[in-house]
Amino acid sequence: MNLNTSILKYIEDVKSGSFTVEEFIAATLQRINDIDGDIHAYLSLNDSAINDAKLIDQKISSGEKIGQCYGFPISIKDNICITGTKTTCASKILENFVAPYTATVVNRLHAEDAVITGKTNLDEFAMGLTTEFSAFGPTKNPWNIDYVPGGSSGGSAASVAANECLASLGSDTGGSVRNPASFCSVVGLKPTYGLISRYGLISYANSIEQIGPMTKTVKDSAFLLNIIAGQDANDDTTIDSNNQNYLENIEDGIEGKKIGIIKEMTTSDGLSSEVSTATKDTIHDFESLGASCEEISLPTIPYTIAAYYTITSTEAGSNLARYDNIRYGYELESEGYEYNSYISKSRTKFGPEVTRRIILGGFVPSAGHAGKYFLKSLKVKSKLISEVNNAFKKFDYMISPTAPVQPFKFGEKIDDPVTLMLLDYNTVTANLTGKPAISVPYRVVNGLPIGMQIMANSLKEKSLLQAAYALESKTTLPEVPL
Amino acid sequence: MTKIGLEIHCQLTKLKSKLFCSCKANYREFEPNHNICPVCMGLPGSLPRLNQKAVESATSIAMALSCETPEKIAFFRKNYFYPDLPKNFQITQLNVYGDMSIGGEGYVNVEDKKIKIRRIQLEEDPGRIIYEGASERTKITLIDYNRAGTPLVEIVTDPDFESPRQVRVFLNILSDLLENLGVAEPGLEGAMRADGNVSIEGGKKVEIKNIGSFHDLEKALHFEITRQQSLFERDIEIVQETRHWDDKRKITVSSRSKEEDQDYRYFLENDIPWVKIDQGTRDTLKENMPESISSKKDRYVEKFDIAPQVAEIIASDRYYSKLFENAYSEYNAKDIANLITTDVIGFIDTKEKQQNSKITSQHLSDLIDAINSKTITRNSAKVALQEIIKSGKNTKDVLQEMDLGQVSDSSEIDIIISQIFEEEKQAVIDAKERPETVNFLVGKVMQKTKGKADPVKTLEIIKSKLNQ
Amino acid sequence: MVDEDEIIRVAELMKINLDDHGEHVSRVKKMLEYFDILDQIDLSSEEITSQEKSLTELRKDEFIPNDKKLIESLKNFREHYVRAPKMN
Repeated sequence: MNLNTSILKYIEDVKSGSFTVEEFIAATLQRINDIDGDIHAYLSLNDSAINDAKLIDQKISSGEKIGQCYGFPISIKDNICITGTKTTCASKILENFVAPYTATVVNRLHAEDAVITGKTNLDEFAMGLTTEFSAFGPTKNPWNIDYVPGGSSGGSAASVAANECLASLGSDTGGSVRNPASFCSVVGLKPTYGLISRYGLISYANSIEQIGPMTKTVKDSAFLLNIIAGQDANDDTTIDSNNQNYLENIEDGIEGKKIGIIKEMTTSDGLSSEVSTATKDTIHDFESLGASCEEISLPTIPYTIAAYYTITSTEAGSNLARYDNIRYGYELESEGYEYNSYISKSRTKFGPEVTRRIILGGFVPSAGHAGKYFLKSLKVKSKLISEVNNAFKKFDYMISPTAPVQPFKFGEKIDDPVTLMLLDYNTVTANLTGKPAISVPYRVVNGLPIGMQIMANSLKEKSLLQAAYALESKTTLPEVPL
Repeated sequence: MTKIGLEIHCQLTKLKSKLFCSCKANYREFEPNHNICPVCMGLPGSLPRLNQKAVESATSIAMALSCETPEKIAFFRKNYFYPDLPKNFQITQLNVYGDMSIGGEGYVNVEDKKIKIRRIQLEEDPGRIIYEGASERTKITLIDYNRAGTPLVEIVTDPDFESPRQVRVFLNILSDLLENLGVAEPGLEGAMRADGNVSIEGGKKVEIKNIGSFHDLEKALHFEITRQQSLFERDIEIVQETRHWDDKRKITVSSRSKEEDQDYRYFLENDIPWVKIDQGTRDTLKENMPESISSKKDRYVEKFDIAPQVAEIIASDRYYSKLFENAYSEYNAKDIANLITTDVIGFIDTKEKQQNSKITSQHLSDLIDAINSKTITRNSAKVALQEIIKSGKNTKDVLQEMDLGQVSDSSEIDIIISQIFEEEKQAVIDAKERPETVNFLVGKVMQKTKGKADPVKTLEIIKSKLNQ
Repeated sequence: MVDEDEIIRVAELMKINLDDHGEHVSRVKKMLEYFDILDQIDLSSEEITSQEKSLTELRKDEFIPNDKKLIESLKNFREHYVRAPKMN
């Protein structure tokens, strides 16, 4: 059974009877069993996956109405809740947390007969971009297990790249879908803020994060977006998707479109020469597709990392305050503690990066420091939004490499906080402005992937996917060596 | 000069659901922690969903207090750790990016004083903490989250009050107003709470928290004013601080300095978009508001020539004004108003009695008809009222059963007066010399007839007998 | 310059225990020092904005009892109370 297939091809094959859902799911679970010891993409598996598959097979054979997913296997980042199963956020503090409800996105997948394979690894509470900050050990990059898979949705990206499922849902606060997509050579989409419900996504920085699909092909992302996008009564920040069909006309091409090459993201000091070369080639590819490319400067970009970390830490400090181990959490005898010491003791379960961001999140918005850090950061965000909106008056798309570098080895960058922050340099702009952005696998150099990022204006996902599809069709990539 | 300001919290218990979820707004009927859901418990992955009606009710309150109401409102997080806060932050409002709380810059006239309303905000109530155990050592902390998320309106006044008495009058006006709007039940236990701040001439502002009832608030304010004055007289500095009302000892106690150190790290609650309330919506809200107490009062005075004090009493109480509105007609409005304020109020002077009372508007108009047609005396009406309030029987039956028909037959009254003249010889002599003491004799007649004698006729006959 | 004592004080307010974690302070300090870059940008004409929604799009006021007895899946004490450590 070839597990390296797209969702759309899989559906065709199931429909034509090439294999049953159960056969494919069983093969997928076998694959997980065989290789996940090395990759560690999953934190937990869905025990009833085979059963779910059988039920869908029955529906198919009895001619019952069947959802458009036909039982394809999809993994879910472990910060997205599913009733009755553990949702850990890769944190010791939520090690045994079982949510009493299911995220809207998962409900929509279930309604369309997708089969959930399991929950995937991440940096604790989605803070990080290597998965090295998972409390349960890092995920390895399927292209080379000595290298990081990116993060924070590293488990999701690796599970798709290693053929341990056909797609995954990740979450993207500052690049957490796109960065690992780029590092693992899969497609990762961060949609417009509000397009996808966050109900059931455990908040890290709720003002800018979104759930996003991670798939093997651009068309598969469009297919998934069709299913999970749209207004949700459980999330006041969702916006109407107007029932767009993102797959329709996806092959229309980009002839005559105008593309801005973001100067700050393509000329920064941190850019590796391999990534730089790939960027130049991407520009040629777009031109050969009939688009016109031109450099655009967004002068606020050098300030975005500081603003991003200030805003996200502030929100994290508040969002993670609820983990006081009083209403839920782990067993800790309260005898002998008073309230404050009990909470502080309980919160020693947070890992190092989360702990630091909580401290930072107490510092930057505090009465004595908000003026210097937090309020300025909100204004940087406002300024960036005007700048980007202006740019989109001229351009249909703006592009850059997704990450300034290729995957690196474990431990290589974890010790320098500033280096680590700057890895988000190209991705945070889409989050701070709420714009959609996608990472498309572009090249594999020295056995390691490079992804390209395309950004479009708010709610222009359809057009964005057309450009991504056009770029994808110009590339030929090797198979993952695993 | 003493300056007092208030922070009043009022639950919107007339709403069906909580501020951010579909649990019940009035949590009082539930067993502990049986009116909770993932949202009000702040479980990870849950999101707040703002109650439209809560925004409307709070806006109505702001309008009724003559506040400015903004075009957009925003919510903020007030971050602090406390076991009654499921998320360890409270969703509330703040005016840092322009005026974006429910309302502000309003006022209430209290007697001849204008009390300015600085700000009105909508926020969530925390859960309830219950301390159990006899001694400090065995004490345990229990939490019931049923109240967590109940919609709460905070009303902040300027320090415009000059005395605790003025505060009391204001709070009465405010409760009447909130009840009249149909958004709150200030009578419910814990539904309306107030904190105060006090400063005297030359001193700093001291906030008093943890006050259980309005009654205690007045006591706490009195205590605090006296405390500050005695410090001032002894030349001891009054420091700016927060003090807690100690209900057992009936004194205010300085709070630990740690709490003053509190940094709430206010910032926008981005799970709730800014809510646009356009002019049209605000106009509609205003039109649909029940008539305000002051306009009701003015209407009663102008239309029915009712005395302003009487009109005020009736207009400011939903129960009495409802009785009145349903009872009056063009010709008897004034009589009904007087009947309510002179007699009914005496018998039904608490919310509880109002709830139990069986009297209807029909009873009132029947009684007034009976008085005006001289079927009964005012005194008999009072007796009948007591019975009606208790039993709710119709007026006619009550008058018959209690034999309250008026004695207006002159010869009958004449006989009774003759008897009294025999019994009260000295009073008769007095009345002849000093006509103003004649009321004593009238009173005696009323006593003897159990108030049934027609007072006008009685006086007439006594006067003519005295002149014989 | 960021004061390390200030970072330690904030950590305590955030209920973070720093015993044996001195390296957190220096790392947070490095991040804060990087944030000094924010002093170099002119933001005088910027205003803070947010997503907006109209009043009528909000949740309707309906009481819907939570079907599951949520408290039973949470930490609970006798009579379904939640118990907190001693308050001082």
